[in-house]
Amino acid sequence: MEIDKIIHEPARLRIMMILSGVEQADFNFLLTTLGLTRGNLSRHVEKLESAGYLKVKKSFKGKVPNTGYELTQKGSRALTQYWEDVDAIRQLGQSL
Amino acid sequence: MSVKQNNQLQDQDAEKLKEIPKWTRRYAQNRTLTILVLMVMIMLYSMFVAALLGFLLALAAAGFRKGNIILGCVGIAVLVAALVAIVKFQIFILAKFGSKNKGLLDQIIDRWIYGNEVTTSIPKPKSSKKKICLEILSGVIFFICIFASWHLAIKGYIAYKYLQPVSALYIVPFVVCGWYFWKSPRMGPIYLLYPILYAGHAILIVAGVPIFFTTENFCIFSICLPMLGYGFLPFIIGHIYSRYALKKLKGITHLEGDTANGD
Repeated sequence: MEIDKIIHEPARLRIMMILSGVEQADFNFLLTTLGLTRGNLSRHVEKLESAGYLKVKKSFKGKVPNTGYELTQKGSRALTQYWEDVDAIRQLGQSL
Repeated sequence: MSVKQNNQLQDQDAEKLKEIPKWTRRYAQNRTLTILVLMVMIMLYSMFVAALLGFLLALAAAGFRKGNIILGCVGIAVLVAALVAIVKFQIFILAKFGSKNKGLLDQIIDRWIYGNEVTTSIPKPKSSKKKICLEILSGVIFFICIFASWHLAIKGYIAYKYLQPVSALYIVPFVVCGWYFWKSPRMGPIYLLYPILYAGHAILIVAGVPIFFTTENFCIFSICLPMLGYGFLPFIIGHIYSRYALKKLKGITHLEGDTANGD
């Protein structure tokens, strides 16, 4: 059993978990909620995007540009699988 | 720290992390102050229009009744001007916030209230023509029920005391069904507090607590005041709950030190 390394990183796991609870969350929401720097968050988001786990939605709020993120179906499936794997490992650890 | 203790701590962390979607959803779903502000704005606007038109109509009627044709004509002219201005304003509002801009006003208020927190959204229910027609129809039936019970109370078929308890018979199921079938992304289960409080108010009246109006002119307030008061309360509680949910969410998700800066 191999845990998905892309999701396993604490910041990326939290980003995925936040997005799994809502339809869409924007960059600044993730920034304030996670307490990351802009550069760090961008890097994590890029990794998740290149893995196909989330998609970027660029729009305008009035005159201000807004970047929103949405979990893809692939991302949703990967997250479910991740937790199944983690739970399986935890159970294995308890039985030892 | 032993391996067992370490495992237990990691288990707790994992369980906490699993709560992130729940708190995010609760936060997004309970940012209800926007709806409250929108409702108050619509209410104030309606009251202003009703007061303005009522005053001008009364002025014109008083002028004609007293034989003061000039006052009557001025009253009518101002009334027509006010009506034209109101229609123009409505057209302006519809052009700015209607059709393809639907939801823009909501967004503007949202940004004004929750601007610093930016946005999250939860899925909106799909709208169809049939659904919209059903919404309008049920709204019309709802207001017919309110005015019918008010009329029956004035005619003496319903005692003023029982006007609110009778209204609870249709308002409570209407609100519960409305919440269930037309689930709005902004109305979480907290909104169910409204029918519960309204039903509680009715039970108190039946039990003999004098929380109703007894005169013909004011009896409609026996319905309106609890309807508005209890209607606003869930939105305020929802807003407070969203603060709590955000705090909880930040408590779980906030990363510090190396974890925050690591890859």
